[in-house]
Amino acid sequence: MVVSFFFRAEGSFLGRIEPEILSWVTIVGGFTLLLGVVSIVRVNYTAVKRKADGWGYKLATLISVFVIAIPAMLPTGWSDQFGRGDGSIYKWLFNYLDAPMMATMFAMLAFYIASAAFRAFRARNAEATLLLITAIIVMLWRVPMGEEFLLSIHPDIPGWINTYIMGGANLAVQRGIIIGAALGAAAMALRIMLGIERTYMGK
Amino acid sequence: MGEVLAYIGLVIVGVFLLYKTFKTDDRRYIYLAVGIFVIFPFFIPLDIPVIVSPETQQLYDAVEALPDSSTVLLTFDYYASALPETEPMSRAALHHLFRKDCKVVTLTTIPLGGPSISEDVTREMAEIYGKEYGIDFVNLGYKANYVAVLKGMGSVIDIIYPTDNSGTPLSEIPMMKDIKNYSDIDFIYVVSDNGIVDYWMSIVNAQYQIEVGCGVTAVMAPKYYAYIGSGQMTGLLGGMKGAAEYERLIGKKDEATKGMGAQSLVHLFIIFSVLAGNIIFFFERRKRFNQAGGAR
Repeated sequence: MVVSFFFRAEGSFLGRIEPEILSWVTIVGGFTLLLGVVSIVRVNYTAVKRKADGWGYKLATLISVFVIAIPAMLPTGWSDQFGRGDGSIYKWLFNYLDAPMMATMFAMLAFYIASAAFRAFRARNAEATLLLITAIIVMLWRVPMGEEFLLSIHPDIPGWINTYIMGGANLAVQRGIIIGAALGAAAMALRIMLGIERTYMGK
Repeated sequence: MGEVLAYIGLVIVGVFLLYKTFKTDDRRYIYLAVGIFVIFPFFIPLDIPVIVSPETQQLYDAVEALPDSSTVLLTFDYYASALPETEPMSRAALHHLFRKDCKVVTLTTIPLGGPSISEDVTREMAEIYGKEYGIDFVNLGYKANYVAVLKGMGSVIDIIYPTDNSGTPLSEIPMMKDIKNYSDIDFIYVVSDNGIVDYWMSIVNAQYQIEVGCGVTAVMAPKYYAYIGSGQMTGLLGGMKGAAEYERLIGKKDEATKGMGAQSLVHLFIIFSVLAGNIIFFFERRKRFNQAGGAR
């Protein structure tokens, strides 16, 4: 896979085996999901058995795993409520429990951000003041009401924000981060492939 | 007139709750204010014009420029937690693609709910436009290990996806007979709430030279200006506002446009509370400074 990333391998032996190897990788990926389920069951089952702190929550996790997974895996020929189609137990649990709960957790961020911004976002020094001003300008620009307000001051302000803040300072910083992270990832991959980095194996 | 009075009342309530927070240092007043500002515009809607950004326009133009009946790969790379931001993008994209009679291939790299979301949204939109499964659109579903999936689809799609989401072999699906790998796909429309976008750019766009346009959550959008600036990414929708801009361009005001009222009010409330907090901070600091000076 690594070699095929760098060379056009069509027609060669490498080109012929590449799809096969990639197919194997997706199968191995499937087994890693299974490993995750086994790990969750083992860790939580042990905690429930020992009545460790918060064992009730761990029991709820275990029940949830089985209640959502088993009906989804059973053949639809046995019942319309099995499998993942319309009217199935899985679909009901996903639509009416899982999705609203995930959305609720994510939506709570808005409340915490509002509170944190009010209590902690202070112009204590020049850098913090610059960050504060930029954040307020971008927040105004990212909503229609704020954008209308900026337009009422000068018709070019939204364009300037897009060009100089988002497409200028932000772009330069993001590009630096992306390139830095990519170099770091390449170095780490090389360390793993050469056997220098073995912490992922617990060593 | 009634609406104006209602919004004046809302502002007074917001200021009062902020004042209570100052007085009591109880953050629950801020939570209550945010809750009210989110809910209020859904009962008394705000009709605010949405201005289209150049990045959204670029994505719209790229799709518009595709010849009719082109093949487009649309991804549903998001969890249920980000549905309010990302689902309107998927819906708007499907409106645009089905209206242009494009053949749409959908897939997801998200195991938890991804296949269900893509199936539900695509079938609902297909019904509106009278599109038929297997002829006009196909849902490939989910496969583990997205790097291998993205790379493998460049060689042969049906090695990575031998069947579609419901288990039908791809060889039995008429639309997939002519779609073997990326070279048969004209455009890739990624809707995502996570870092998978980087892989669509570095593996698919960079190695297979396929045009990729993206819709991402608002917090992710600043990062992807780097790809827009380099010309690698063909258009970007940033958060619910990006989706609302796209809805405006396709002429279908939907959930994202409705959400702009709530988002505008909460943003303005946060800005106002940050400014108020800083004014108080400034006066308190000055008071402390004067007291310290007086003591000397």
